[in-house]
Amino acid sequence: MSDSITFISRAAPYGENNSKLCMDIALAAAVFEQKINYVFLDDGVYQLLSNQSPEAIASKPVGAALEAFDLYGIENVYVDKNSLSSRNLTQQELVIKAKVADSDLIAELIQNSKSVINL
Amino acid sequence: MSTLHTISKSPAKGLLSSCAPLLKQGDALMLLEDGVYYSYQNELDDLLAKGFEVYCLSEDLLARGPADKNLAESKLLDYEGFVDLCCEHDKLVNWF
Amino acid sequence: MKFSIVIYGAPYSSEAASSAYRFARAVIEQGHGIYRLFFMGDGVLNASRLSVSPQDEVNLQHSWDKLIREHKLDSVVCVSSALKRGIVDATESERYELDGVSAFESSDIAGLGQLVDASVVSDRVVSFG
Repeated sequence: MSDSITFISRAAPYGENNSKLCMDIALAAAVFEQKINYVFLDDGVYQLLSNQSPEAIASKPVGAALEAFDLYGIENVYVDKNSLSSRNLTQQELVIKAKVADSDLIAELIQNSKSVINL
Repeated sequence: MSTLHTISKSPAKGLLSSCAPLLKQGDALMLLEDGVYYSYQNELDDLLAKGFEVYCLSEDLLARGPADKNLAESKLLDYEGFVDLCCEHDKLVNWF
Repeated sequence: MKFSIVIYGAPYSSEAASSAYRFARAVIEQGHGIYRLFFMGDGVLNASRLSVSPQDEVNLQHSWDKLIREHKLDSVVCVSSALKRGIVDATESERYELDGVSAFESSDIAGLGQLVDASVVSDRVVSFG
């Protein structure tokens, strides 16, 4: 079995805390040199919108934090195709480069992982 | 290599439609907490027709009063059965 | 088989934390091992030693504490989630010059590395939230 950890981030930013928890765990896993897949699913794709300005609601921009993925060596970043299209979003609107993945590919990532964190 | 998915929120949260497309042959679904309300509905029919095993935590189902409902064909397990089921699959994906 | 259990849910707000507790007991009763309990987000409130429940209701925080001590479980509370929610042990209380200790001694307050380690080492990771 593979030793990678797959993260499925399903929460919109700001309205609830799960997007941040998911990211924090992934960054910690990256520090400990784990192989990581990071998948944005459902409302999680809203984290990827550019031009977020949450300062007025006393939050840090999630989009900017996602740019840290590169520094941490998290390269396998995916965004669910159906989640994008059902929200009228396109890949061009996203703040980081994420590979567009269909359900079959995400199912395969899950199958080939040691464990899955789904928040 | 198979995965046990669990859903623990009400069907109103729509987690089954996120989870179902990610199931692979041999995977199974366990319903607990408010997820057991899926067993009251026909939303599970598609999964059952495809041959996926669907289980329901008996403590949570009984707590909610299933007696006169026409339950979908999910199999009832208690916590011990839930633990056994976790051992039968290689990993879990918990939807909440 | 080695299980780790991750608890994201606050006690009483939803069923998640008490499900996790019942699941942990079932794991032990079935003869399996618990590698680690990890409390994160609102789940850290399960480690509060300052809760009082009505006499006819279960005090989940006390139940966790008893289970952890009885079975000498490795139990970790996420430090960043805990500090923000006022869950502090003696060390953190002293470090930040706070006037009390709110965490049970049965759990350690530590970083996310402990969750990553649990994900890698355990045979099964089960999350409740």
